[in-house]
Amino acid sequence: MKNIISRRDLLGGAAASAALAVSSGRGALAQQKTSISVRIDRDVTALDPAFRGGPHDANIFKSVYQRLIKQKDNSAETELDAASELKQVSPTLIEFTLKPGQMFTDGYGEMTAEDVKFSFERFSVSPVDGKVSPYKGDWTGLTGVEVTGKYTGKIVLSQPNAGLYAIALADGSGCIVCKKAVLERGVEHNIKPVGSGPYQVISVEKQRGAVLKRNPAYTGPKPTFEEIKVNFIQDPKTAELALRSGELDFAVLPPAVAEPMRNVSGLVVDQAPGLAYIWLGINMEKAPFTDLRVRQAIRLALDVDQMLLAGFNGKAPRLNTLVMAPVLGAWTEAPVYKRNVVEAKKLLAEAGHPAIKTRITILNQPAYQTMALVAQALLREVGITAELDVQEGGTYWEAGKGEAGKNLDLFMMRFNGKLDPNFLMQWFVSGQIGTWNWQRFNSPEFDRLYQEAIVEADPAKRAAIVIKAQQEMDKSAAFVWLTNDVAFPVRRATVKPAYLPGAIDWQLDRFTAA
Amino acid sequence: MNDTARYLLSRLVTTALIVLGAMLLLFTLSAIVPGDPATALLGPQATPEYAKRFIMEMGLDQPWYRRLFIFLGNLLVGNLGTDVLSGRPVTAIVGAVIPYTFILTFASIGLAVLIGVPLGCYAATHRGSVADHALAFVSVAFIAIPSFVIAIFLLLIFSIWLDWLPVLGAGEAGNWADQAKRLILPTTALSVGWIGFIARLVRSSMLEVMGESYIRTARAYGLSNSMVTYKYALKNACIPTIAVLGMGIGRLLGGAVLVEIVFARPGLGRLIFDAIATRNFPVLQGAVLVVVLIFVVTNLLVDLSYSAIDPRIRRNTTSERAGR
Repeated sequence: MKNIISRRDLLGGAAASAALAVSSGRGALAQQKTSISVRIDRDVTALDPAFRGGPHDANIFKSVYQRLIKQKDNSAETELDAASELKQVSPTLIEFTLKPGQMFTDGYGEMTAEDVKFSFERFSVSPVDGKVSPYKGDWTGLTGVEVTGKYTGKIVLSQPNAGLYAIALADGSGCIVCKKAVLERGVEHNIKPVGSGPYQVISVEKQRGAVLKRNPAYTGPKPTFEEIKVNFIQDPKTAELALRSGELDFAVLPPAVAEPMRNVSGLVVDQAPGLAYIWLGINMEKAPFTDLRVRQAIRLALDVDQMLLAGFNGKAPRLNTLVMAPVLGAWTEAPVYKRNVVEAKKLLAEAGHPAIKTRITILNQPAYQTMALVAQALLREVGITAELDVQEGGTYWEAGKGEAGKNLDLFMMRFNGKLDPNFLMQWFVSGQIGTWNWQRFNSPEFDRLYQEAIVEADPAKRAAIVIKAQQEMDKSAAFVWLTNDVAFPVRRATVKPAYLPGAIDWQLDRFTAA
Repeated sequence: MNDTARYLLSRLVTTALIVLGAMLLLFTLSAIVPGDPATALLGPQATPEYAKRFIMEMGLDQPWYRRLFIFLGNLLVGNLGTDVLSGRPVTAIVGAVIPYTFILTFASIGLAVLIGVPLGCYAATHRGSVADHALAFVSVAFIAIPSFVIAIFLLLIFSIWLDWLPVLGAGEAGNWADQAKRLILPTTALSVGWIGFIARLVRSSMLEVMGESYIRTARAYGLSNSMVTYKYALKNACIPTIAVLGMGIGRLLGGAVLVEIVFARPGLGRLIFDAIATRNFPVLQGAVLVVVLIFVVTNLLVDLSYSAIDPRIRRNTTSERAGR
């Protein structure tokens, strides 16, 4: 028997050996993983709680700064963080005591109550260089922070604010910055933040992201990973490939990208109900939609389940009202509207509009385009001819604003949510008409209930008020609720992530080895 | 003033006019295009007061022509403005990404020349052969496939299936080996189309040049085939290729946008893309200005390189200017 090794065999063997060596090395590395890599889908804007660009920034800096309180792992419940004590003395007064010995990085010394005062008041009470924060609404009612000692102080409000804990104190707006560092570093502090949290920022690079390293001076529980690379990856397909190749450990992806990864070895695809809310809105000020019957007809003409099947492969749960299940005031008995073509046609005939020509304005993203196409077909059956107006982000986000907003017909919208009903309700008050209330929903009763819910400290009473407010929205028929979205966190099997319900807010310092 | 100095001066004046024209166009388009930067950049959280202040800080409360004058005035002192959102100077933002763009662009051109020119020469010297036809087919296919499609296939093959090369980014700062490794796939994706294009161009130029009388003369003098092909024919056939490459820098910068997105690489193209999407006008203006400058300077260098390759061009240009 001839046994000749050709040059091709030799090269092939060498390549196979090299591949084996590389793959076995990678396996060994996975076991002693000290660094992980996660994806953000927007570039780092400013690692400053008061001037952050959005959740992508907050997800980084919430592990860099401490808060008086913060959420427990994978939970909306809170626990003490920088504070050793936090006491609600009255509906408008909160007292706090800081733990001593919490050191800011880069030699900026110990955290004191002065830093807390500076951090909270800079949103709008004492803005630095006159710059009021776009997030000042998170601190609604704050009149000031009184420093009563090196570690003690009082948060004073002009009116009760039931959402203060969830929206401000335990969230991004409650992060405690170092007064001296902010004043000294100026805009540089946006990319070189000084905190006292579990991680410190090592570098921030435009279009690349940030690198975090464990803060050795942090007095709380030591995070699992020495280093976290936060990569800005715009394209979900690239994120998918990076996950498959092992370069990325965690990313939240759209269903169409995440679903096919369920069977990929070494990866785990989780599914979490979203905290966003997506709906089809109707401009109540534009004829013929000024007529309640026309709006009701549209609601009855649409088949939400069919739209979701098309837009989200049926993976996103149906939403029937504004406030969804994990949030206080969820209206579980909200009506579930079924498609009824006969009734819809009847309503249109009664309103004197048996045939309507209209326009659905949407963002140029596949899910909305698909859902709008389905809506277009469904509306046609009741005599409504809808043209699709697909716009890119820069134009779309202005479509419902100011005078231009008066000409809007139907539109699809998505807002990110938080675990507080007033946060969800705030965009629909009459004061938001011409800004974010694109339905131009003008209900004095809703406005009143919104204010009432802010100051109501009793959770049961507050929930009842919030449900009443949603009933007002339902009566208007200006909202066809679609879904609160669905998040698909995809991770390497070796990493166990931590995030709040909805998977929008991450707890990077709580990520552990699985 | 001699001819070369006069030529350079006229080109510099033209350059300044082109830059001015481009910025004029950009400012006009910025004024026309719908979309509110405060909304696009700040999102729903922006209070009306903050949005107003933001617009003022961006200078968007001013008419576009005043903004243009302010921009040009700042430019004279090397200031491209400030990105209001991050508070950082635009020069720093552009400066941070420009090396990545340069590296990707020049590596892609280098690879395209390195492979495309020999392929074109080979096809020209083997005209009508099976190899020539095969190269023609492959070249056209390369030209026709968009670079981002090639990018995705390269990633699937070399990163996912074979696990040879990384997917993400531009590599760790200071780690040259890592950076080089992460340059291979984007460079290949971006240059594939150009390889085909250059191969076709060199082939047709070579065939044209090889029909010239001086080539016949060279052959008649008994010079070897390779000497005639590579010393005389290729040198002249390179002139249109260099012209195309010069123009190609701009196209490469445009084509790089999608490749940069697919590979999550930083770069000027991606910066401009993001700035347009978010209506971040200060960053857009600064980045576009830099691209225009790169384009114009490259073309100037290309023009100058003609005369270095073929002195007849320099003589002809001088004669035309002298009216002879």
